[in-house]
Amino acid sequence: MINYIIRRLLIMPVLVAGISVVIFGMLSLLTPYERAALYVTDIPKRQGAIESIIEKYGLDDPIPVQYWHWMVGQKDEDTGEISGGVLRGDLGWSKVGKSTVAEVIGRRLPASAELALWSALPLIGLSIWMGIRAAVNHNKFVDQVLRVAAIAGWSIPTFVFGLLLLLFFYSRLDWFPPGRLSIEMSQVVLSDSFVQYTKMHTIDSLLNLRFDIFKDAIRHLVLPVVTLSVVSWAFLLRVTRSSMLDTLRQDYITTARSKGLPEGKVVGRHAVPNGLIPVITVGGLTLISLFNGVVITETIFNIKGIGSFMAQAAASLDVVSVLGITMFSSLVLIVGNLVVDVLYGVVDPRIRLD
Amino acid sequence: MTLGYVLKKLIKNPLAVAGLILLLAFVILAIWAPVFAPVPENSRDPYMIPRDGFSSIPVPPTEEHIFGTTEGQYDIFYGIVWGTRTAFRIGVVITLFTTMIGIIIGSFAAYYGGWLDELLMRITEIFQAFPFLLTAITLTSVLQAVYGRGEGNFLIYSAKLLAFLTFGSSIFENINPIQLSIITGMISIIMFGWMTIARVTRGNILAVKNFEYSLAARTIGAKNLRILFRHLMPNAIFPVLVIASMNIGSYVLTFAALSFLGLGAQVGYADWGQMISFARNWIPSLAEYSHIVVYPGVAILLFVLAWNLVGDALRDILDPRLRGSR
Repeated sequence: MINYIIRRLLIMPVLVAGISVVIFGMLSLLTPYERAALYVTDIPKRQGAIESIIEKYGLDDPIPVQYWHWMVGQKDEDTGEISGGVLRGDLGWSKVGKSTVAEVIGRRLPASAELALWSALPLIGLSIWMGIRAAVNHNKFVDQVLRVAAIAGWSIPTFVFGLLLLLFFYSRLDWFPPGRLSIEMSQVVLSDSFVQYTKMHTIDSLLNLRFDIFKDAIRHLVLPVVTLSVVSWAFLLRVTRSSMLDTLRQDYITTARSKGLPEGKVVGRHAVPNGLIPVITVGGLTLISLFNGVVITETIFNIKGIGSFMAQAAASLDVVSVLGITMFSSLVLIVGNLVVDVLYGVVDPRIRLD
Repeated sequence: MTLGYVLKKLIKNPLAVAGLILLLAFVILAIWAPVFAPVPENSRDPYMIPRDGFSSIPVPPTEEHIFGTTEGQYDIFYGIVWGTRTAFRIGVVITLFTTMIGIIIGSFAAYYGGWLDELLMRITEIFQAFPFLLTAITLTSVLQAVYGRGEGNFLIYSAKLLAFLTFGSSIFENINPIQLSIITGMISIIMFGWMTIARVTRGNILAVKNFEYSLAARTIGAKNLRILFRHLMPNAIFPVLVIASMNIGSYVLTFAALSFLGLGAQVGYADWGQMISFARNWIPSLAEYSHIVVYPGVAILLFVLAWNLVGDALRDILDPRLRGSR
């Protein structure tokens, strides 16, 4: 087991290095002038201002040198201070966010994390339960209905689904508004009497014992959570179903049945624990689709999280912000995948022994 | 397994038949687009949706505009009909390239094995570690800056090649900026969309690599590339091609998302995602202007659904573990 975890850990730096090379490769498609322009906020008044920026940040150095500076930072020759460096947590200056990319991420992460958290938990439970139902009733009515529903959920674009939800439940019925909180509630949240521990409103409101705020936050979360979950729900359902179908055909299931065990026990005790093992492996893919969905969902529902910032930065061609956020989310994904791999090894001895 | 066998299985599955009928309807709509939605006489480019005035308020369906107009008075029906062509063009060309890249990388990795396999699979893994849409957004915004300066380099030539394949435009002239922004989105999707095909190809080539006929070919002194392309490919590639062709739906979906975020097709182009992006400005009053979401939204949904219905059935047919079980 230890060996297995070490092996997974050793792959991580390779992946991080590879990802950083690809991201830097995209950045180096821009000329030194274009990259210098990303640091300038208004028209330079002095001649040679751009050139001095290029000079200062070494934007016309050879590409490998620049990559090194970008990754580990650059030493200022006069003061001896080291500045920049992705590995030191400096992802650059965001023109759209008007602060460093790292600060923007810190500021906007709680909203995205809250959304993803609320999406992931019910999503996993519901899709696994439905997948098991479909497999147990293979080719019967339930299976066919769930199959069509899953294909439809898999086919509907996130933005169309989100807009349709808003059309009915906000514009027509006014049940679930967009945004994160209503105006009165957000004033309470920003006031001094309300302590923001995590900046996730649902958790903070409980910690502050303000159940009215909790209710309001949930009311704003319902639609985005459903929108974000629908694609992953369809995906997980299909994986659970096919993995369960595979398991139900194994010899030990036949053995269990021929021993005279009731069908419920055969499925619940013998099939489900084994059938769910492959489902864990697609956890990483689910994480990816949540990341993708966050961009669209936050944009539609006007949630000020990382995803909507990404869309905003891309629309104004703020390349530094966009690359920084991609770098950050790839790192999160790698760590997420590592956790998934280790979990897989824990539950399935066949994996860690090979 | 032959095409005939697959087709015979396919038409026994009612869901797949529904998908095939939908696809046929879209093909008809695309081929006879000028009949369903005639191009106005003064139009310079049939793919630019004609406008009926410049008012910024959407108009619900009327007799003249049966699906209504969006903000800026773009005719929604016209956009949907011609958008079918856009969807097919974009989807087919992206699929062509991702499949080609995937097959080359996957088959070389499987056939040569060793360090090359290790290297290619690590690269595949790195590309898979990216959050796809985020990276596509990134690359699109970088490429838009690169193409903005219009210098002759490798990227411009590949854009010209794509423009030639997608729109039939000349390779020797500059790309029209409207097409260029679409090409930019396509390149991003191609760059980050080939990995699954590479993996499936690798698996299939590995499965046939050590069969007798491959060893026999080697014994009589056939060259590596000849064994790979003449003996192994024909036996391993069929399922890959079928599954890859079903990716068209998901590529169209991704492109629509890019367009929706304002990074794919330009305003006014007959593209479904672009048409829906207008709806972002009308969220509080969507109930009143539901036509600006519903019609183009249903078009995308049905298009992708059609591919997925067929694809889902095909996957079951081609998956050897499920064969004979029903």
